Amino acid sequence: MALTTAPDPTRRGTGSVRPPATRRGTGRIRHAEGLAGYVFLSPWLIGLMGITAIPMLLSLYLSFTNYDILTPWSEVEWVGLANYERMFTSDPSWWHSVRVTLSFALIAVPLKLAAALGVALLLNRAWRGVGLLRGLFYLPSLLGGSVALAIVWVNMFNREGAFNSFLALFGIEGKPWVNDPDWALETLMVLAIWQFGAPMVIFLAGLKQVPTELYEAASVDGAGKFRKFVNVTLPMLSPVIFFNLVLETINGFQGFTAAFVLSNGTGGPVDSTLMYTLNLYITGFTDLEMGYASAMAWVFLIAIALITVVFFSTGRFWVHYSDGEDR
Amino acid sequence: MHPATHPTSAPDGRTYRTPLLRRRLLRGLLAAVVALPLVGAAAACGDDGASDGKTKISIFWWGGDARAQLTAQALELYTKKNPDVTFETTWQANQGYFDKLATLTAGGNPPDIFQIDDNFLAEYAARNVTLDLKKYQDAGDLDTTKFPPSLLQYGVVDGKLAGLAAGENTQGLVYNKTLLTKNGLPEPTTGMSWEEHIAWAEQVSKKAGVPGTQDPSADYKAFWVWLRQQGKDLYAGSDLGFTVEDVTKWFELWKGARDSGATPTPDVIHEGNATDITKQLVVTGKSATSWVWVNQMPELKKNTSDELGVIAYPGDPSAQWARASMYWSVFRGSKNADLAVDVINFLANDPEAVKLLGTDRGLPSNMDLRRVVSDDTTDPAMKQSIEVENKLAETFGESPQVPIKGHSKVRAELTKAAENAQYGRATPAEAAAQFVEACKAAIAS
Repeated sequence: MALTTAPDPTRRGTGSVRPPATRRGTGRIRHAEGLAGYVFLSPWLIGLMGITAIPMLLSLYLSFTNYDILTPWSEVEWVGLANYERMFTSDPSWWHSVRVTLSFALIAVPLKLAAALGVALLLNRAWRGVGLLRGLFYLPSLLGGSVALAIVWVNMFNREGAFNSFLALFGIEGKPWVNDPDWALETLMVLAIWQFGAPMVIFLAGLKQVPTELYEAASVDGAGKFRKFVNVTLPMLSPVIFFNLVLETINGFQGFTAAFVLSNGTGGPVDSTLMYTLNLYITGFTDLEMGYASAMAWVFLIAIALITVVFFSTGRFWVHYSDGEDR
Repeated sequence: MHPATHPTSAPDGRTYRTPLLRRRLLRGLLAAVVALPLVGAAAACGDDGASDGKTKISIFWWGGDARAQLTAQALELYTKKNPDVTFETTWQANQGYFDKLATLTAGGNPPDIFQIDDNFLAEYAARNVTLDLKKYQDAGDLDTTKFPPSLLQYGVVDGKLAGLAAGENTQGLVYNKTLLTKNGLPEPTTGMSWEEHIAWAEQVSKKAGVPGTQDPSADYKAFWVWLRQQGKDLYAGSDLGFTVEDVTKWFELWKGARDSGATPTPDVIHEGNATDITKQLVVTGKSATSWVWVNQMPELKKNTSDELGVIAYPGDPSAQWARASMYWSVFRGSKNADLAVDVINFLANDPEAVKLLGTDRGLPSNMDLRRVVSDDTTDPAMKQSIEVENKLAETFGESPQVPIKGHSKVRAELTKAAENAQYGRATPAEAAAQFVEACKAAIAS
């Protein structure tokens, strides 16, 4: 939009450069035009306001109340910071869900990105049929947060599941992975890692952008495959890595579906899969403590925002933009 | 809306090619945007159907296809007798039902009549969502004269009749008859002590190669019966009816059972702890017994080809009571409250309707009609559950109070603590202490 070159003030919404003499007349038109703009925006705007912005603000208000869903709004009591206080001082299951979510994200996200990058490197060649392979590797992430996939996962990784039958071929006795509190979360991590298709596709696109002359120059300087990867590929790819890292971290923190399905919505066995969002859901809808759940949601939002800020502020130390200057 | 804009007044002589058309289009769009919600509102008003003299009662329940068909037939019957009343029925699976009910309530638009169970009755009653039916009962508009008094009492919260029992059930220990006969093992009987039950299960494990009993230490209904046999209860007023010592004893009882091989391994116990009927170990073949409700027998039977038997939980059977398997409640703010009460009265007391509904929601609450239904039924599994429940009814003890606010959390905490002990991550004493502390927090808030 900003790229429109023709300076046509009647068609641009912001026309502060116009001569003052004609302001009155154009003002009306601008008004009409602006109105038209809003009318055309309205489907999106109503959606944003009604479904996102207003409920979000309401939840901020609710986070300072003892709202329990069933009590009418008029009888809701303002409790100040009590919900936040309770979260940090006297709710062991909240802390537990924070730990579960952190360990999930800290392990699953880097491994997922590594898998995506590794496969992207393998698939970044001109083999015949490589397109089909890319498609196949991308397939799992198309199924995204699907419930069906989580159900398949549960059946693959229980005691009688396919994975244990596979292990049995090598004489290894498997575990009841999804029903073992020591392994249930790890099973979810594997599921998340397996769905590396989306970042893989982005990595592939990034790899194609790396100029071949850089590799040629490196070869001339006598760099081996590893040196080329470390000194050419990684720096050139760093903006893409950064993008994927931010996105996948946010996704990782918000994992819900698989944990919900695997544990029948309880976070079990023994809270081992009690992800933050699942805990939030149980608090709000099963325990009916919607005010407290709202406070949890806001702490979560702020935490994710902080992490993203940290990413962006450290990015300048390692993200290299190829247009000559590091931003 | 706006003063007419003269086209020639536009800057640098530019004119709109078709200003009028544009403006008209614009106005049309605006009108459409403004009017859309109005249309929606008008449609919503139409739902009340006040215009054609008919009243529409909304009704919401959880359950499967079979229940939906039976209920729809019973409601059709009501419409036949009262042509001015029609129904807007909504039903869904149990999972997610209470989320939806809570959301509907929050939106100020709950159904006139809804199905609810003892896990949530107190939550809703305490917040005045449910209509107190006492007034209708006193006026004779709601006939409860044929109800067992304890069953009726189990719908009373804080002195208000918050829900009308839609059916009665009680705890039932279901065992795999085929497996026992095949291995020449004795069938368990009502009145066996807990120790005898565990010893029996150990024997089954050894001879049949299938764990004798599911470890029910995570199951609040088994824990509850056991507590009542110790002279305690799950709740006492607004407090817990038990102590850490009681829970420790309960967990230790089952630790012993696990150690002696009477139960499956912890991961299998965990599978069986799911409330889903299809996952009960007695039908998945992973254990010889499961701890369920008697009225779940026909449903369990559908999931296995083996023959099943059902008895009371171990110990003194008088610890069991006539539990309302579920209730019908009326929304307090319903515009058609009187009619809604008449409908639930019909569902409970009309001979034809009760016959149609059968034992799908538990044994009919109306004792006269219960007899008729049990004489008529041909489904062997249903017949069996009716017989057992009728027999148990002879020894039923007094109903406990309806579980208090925070009960769903207490249930979840019991599962967590018991599984902690089962997986060996905590000793029975540690798990018990953790459970009681979590419960106190849950019911305090």
